Amino acid sequence: MKPPILIIIMATIMTGTMIVMLSSHWLLIWIGFEMNMLAIIPILMKKYNPRAMEASTKYFLTQATASMLLMMGVTINLLYSGQWVISKISNPIASIMMTTALTMKLGLSPFHFWVPEVTQGITLMSGMILLTWQKIAPMSILYQISPSINTNLLMLMALTSVLVGGWGGLNQTQLRKIMAYSSIAHMGWMAAIITYNPTMMVLNLTLYILMTLSTFMLFMLNSSTTTLSLSHMWNKFPLITSMILILMLSLGGLPPLSGFIPKWMIIQELTKNNMIIIPTLMAITALLNLYFYLRLTYSTALTMFPSTNNMKMKWQFEYTKKATLLPPLIITSTMLL
Amino acid sequence: MMTYIVFILSIVFVMSFVGFATKPSPIYGGLVLIISGGIGCAIVLNFGGSFLGLMVFLIYLGGMLVVFGYTTAMATEQYPEVWVSNKAVLAAFITGLLSELLTACYILKDGEVEVVLKFNGMGDWVIYDTGDSGFFSEEAMGIAALYSYGTWLVVVTGWSLLIGVLVIMEVTRGN
Repeated sequence: MKPPILIIIMATIMTGTMIVMLSSHWLLIWIGFEMNMLAIIPILMKKYNPRAMEASTKYFLTQATASMLLMMGVTINLLYSGQWVISKISNPIASIMMTTALTMKLGLSPFHFWVPEVTQGITLMSGMILLTWQKIAPMSILYQISPSINTNLLMLMALTSVLVGGWGGLNQTQLRKIMAYSSIAHMGWMAAIITYNPTMMVLNLTLYILMTLSTFMLFMLNSSTTTLSLSHMWNKFPLITSMILILMLSLGGLPPLSGFIPKWMIIQELTKNNMIIIPTLMAITALLNLYFYLRLTYSTALTMFPSTNNMKMKWQFEYTKKATLLPPLIITSTMLL
Repeated sequence: MMTYIVFILSIVFVMSFVGFATKPSPIYGGLVLIISGGIGCAIVLNFGGSFLGLMVFLIYLGGMLVVFGYTTAMATEQYPEVWVSNKAVLAAFITGLLSELLTACYILKDGEVEVVLKFNGMGDWVIYDTGDSGFFSEEAMGIAALYSYGTWLVVVTGWSLLIGVLVIMEVTRGN
């Protein structure tokens, strides 16, 4: 893609999310979502193979449907409250429609089916933008309407998302699909706490974005998209294998790494509201997530697969790939606690 | 009849939407879009928005639909699918029409209908009088406000349209 058009499209993606976050008029928020969705389609289609085309089509269809649902919710809100300002949504039908639309945009269960397929069909860089930047805009709107969200609906979606994210990622060896299921599970954790304490959702979102950015950048450094190619990393970049070790453990939510902070806070907030079973269930199913992160670290950093002897010595060329901001990202995503 | 014109037009509006929602070939979808665009324009006209209704005709039908019709005519197949050629399309079309007619009959009988929302009577949809609109037409004032208070909206919308064109160019580049 030629640089001028790439700059314009990237600028529009950022502008779309900024408009969503900074507007108080529902129409402008919807326009921001549409701008964001339109502009990210060429980014998803960077490589012109049928897989990427299919992934972009699936993304476009689901996001367009979600935008239409959001518009319907906005119109119903206008009908019953007479104004366009984003504030407490008094009508329950409008609130449920908006919540459903925003969770469709995020990839929460039961609208999670597009996430692994879209993430698998696109390049690692596009997948990184998809899983991190695209989550900011819907989350900001959920934050703004959080007093009026129906807790039962969102908690059910969150619980099933954590379950789906854990179980779905168990049989995967493709790294992009693993990150997609990880994203579903983390979105589930975030959605569970919105109605109780939205600040924790922002904390979880920030840490999740930091950790996912670091993970994707480590994968991009090695251009590896499967577990098998990750397992050859000990030969090329031995330092990065240990980075992947602590990063995966942080994603899994193990103390004393910083991935534990959001889980701890969320469980604390949920128990403060007298909910015992739900955080227990969420913590138990987060173990499923931890299993496949541990499997990645095991094959990357902790064992050497049987290989011929001349594979064990590799001529160490100098790195030519630029890893922007990678050291600070890794440090913040693991050492904050 | 003129008091119920908006109600009748809305019923026909939904029925024409059923016409292209049942997915015949795009040529026939475009044909039904012309009809539904014209009816939408008439609904807007009945609420006093003469400028916007004529804008629909000019830009939507006369600009965008014409381009759509030309491109679809270039890409169409030898025997495009009509509503009566395929049993599934025909069944969906008849189902849509029948449900709309049923809803209309319920409204006429009871005076109100509740599907998801409460559609309370034809009060919102019937024009009893033209109303006192003061010295200035509300709709023209709204359009004027778009260019004075709503400059940011115009900028954002214009940018989105430009991005739409650029994205289409980028997507159909193909190498």
